Amino acid sequence: MHPALHLGRVFFRMFRRDRQALIFSATFPLIFMVVLGFLRDRGPQPIEFSVTDHAANPASARLLKRLGANPLFAVTTGEEATLRERLVAGEETMVLIIPADFSGSASTELVVLVDAAQVRLADLILPALENALLEVERTVRGIEPLFVLRVEDVQARSQRYIDFLLPGILAFSLMQISIAGSGFNIVEYRRKGILKRLFVTPIGASDFIAALCLARLAWCLLQLTLLLVVAVFFLDVNVLGSYVSLYFVIILGTVIFLCLGFCVGSIAKTQQAVGAAGSLVIFPQLLLSGVFFPIVAMPEVVQSVARALPLSFVVDALRGISNDGLGLTEIAPALLGILVWIVVSFLLATRLFNWKAVVG
Amino acid sequence: MPIIDATHLVKTYPSPERGTFRAVDEVSLAIEAGEIYGILGPNGAGKTTTLEMLEGLTDIDSGEVFVDGLDVRRHPRSVKKIIGVQLQANEYFDYLSLTELLDLFAGLYRPRMSVPAAMLALVDLQDKAKAKPTELSGGQLQRFSIACALVNGPRILFLDEPTTGLDPQAKRNLWQLVRRLNDEGMTIVLTTHNMDEAEMLCGRIAIMDHGRIVAEDTPEALILAHAPDPSAAPLHGNIEDVFLALTGHGLRD
Repeated sequence: MHPALHLGRVFFRMFRRDRQALIFSATFPLIFMVVLGFLRDRGPQPIEFSVTDHAANPASARLLKRLGANPLFAVTTGEEATLRERLVAGEETMVLIIPADFSGSASTELVVLVDAAQVRLADLILPALENALLEVERTVRGIEPLFVLRVEDVQARSQRYIDFLLPGILAFSLMQISIAGSGFNIVEYRRKGILKRLFVTPIGASDFIAALCLARLAWCLLQLTLLLVVAVFFLDVNVLGSYVSLYFVIILGTVIFLCLGFCVGSIAKTQQAVGAAGSLVIFPQLLLSGVFFPIVAMPEVVQSVARALPLSFVVDALRGISNDGLGLTEIAPALLGILVWIVVSFLLATRLFNWKAVVG
Repeated sequence: MPIIDATHLVKTYPSPERGTFRAVDEVSLAIEAGEIYGILGPNGAGKTTTLEMLEGLTDIDSGEVFVDGLDVRRHPRSVKKIIGVQLQANEYFDYLSLTELLDLFAGLYRPRMSVPAAMLALVDLQDKAKAKPTELSGGQLQRFSIACALVNGPRILFLDEPTTGLDPQAKRNLWQLVRRLNDEGMTIVLTTHNMDEAEMLCGRIAIMDHGRIVAEDTPEALILAHAPDPSAAPLHGNIEDVFLALTGHGLRD
């Protein structure tokens, strides 16, 4: 067997035995996915909202029914005095008082009691409340609404948050495994004098790098496959596109972050330094690359930076394949970004990687 | 023709105080095949740097080294095929047993020259085949690192302070191992700051200080030339021999 393959196999065996790293790199993304997936898929929590009905007539009943039908609210009724007390105590968000003369035949004033601290929620509730009153008014006056909105999903598929999340988690995991695999390992091997030990044998620097990259790539594919299996079979996540394309992008992404990991490992001299430098590469991308929420939700200035990050291209490509069922030609812009980053990170790694300094 | 022929080796490192620092300064040495050659000197004398230049591990600033006729600078990989190196650092990959580590090192040479079990037997560590290096005693660890250096059946074995930190039993045991390898025809180059080791083990010694070789000869000739008159020092042997006589020669690891 070629020495590089032989060494690669040994590296793979070591990764397998490193339980601690396994827990971090495999269990964390799984927990993320399961917890976030379930939390977000339960939808927004309804706002609690209380009503005192002094009128108790068909018109007020209709208004209450309207409000009750709105998923935004959880409506309860009660006595005005108790509700006022509870509002002051901070136990109520908002109290609507329907006066005794509320009939729908004459103009009536309804009072809304709010806690000033909850004024932001009031902004959310008041338009819906006005809308409900308008509908009651229309019914009472027998007016047909002039305009009706109908929302139609052109993608004609259901997408839950967890479907959105999976490609992000895959990309994030591959970044983490790759950077940790190259950068962190090199610094540790150097500190222990293991690199020097390897280089009193006839293997070359390229054999060592190839062995480490191959082992990491295999390890990465194995862990991402595990994530995919759990996501698809146990969490019922939809992967619309082809798995071949998905794995193709995963491999390209891994190459970028292995190279960046070598850069980090070349600059950092100690284990602590490599941890800090690694975080500098990992965390901004975790926040800015659309792993947990889409980039379009960010301020414009941040967006332009965020879109240029390597992880953004990988997330974009994976999401295109997984969520929108796109083929490789349709995600060409993201692929181009990935290729540019492969070239940049490879050049950077070969420039920074000082073999003698690493060994010595 | 000497198996190792080094001439005018120089290695300079940047130094914060003096600008540059000559770790190795015009060192020339010729080592014959089948010798046990010792480089003796205090810490910081440039022994390890000299050794690493002979091995092709450290860049040579000026001067040249030929190992078995091969220029180390031009053919480092060919040289590495015929040498075995034991380094001062004794740490290995986590999660691998002695057998797996020996298999790893053996697999880096083509063709593969050894099987782990034979290497372990050679250094008396058969019982530790499944152990991790961190579970070994100092003496066992040194023997293991020599086993690692022997996986390619080298013609020349380099040992960097092989007995530093060992107890007398482990030290004598290691000397026996070195002599045995030498009896089989292996050339051995070692560094030490232990006088006894240089005297007992080596056929020839170079004494280094401040990056220079200050004396080079057989131990006997060096003693005759530099030691005080025997009548002034009538005792034979030293306190270590007494210690060994009283505590026995058996290994304690």
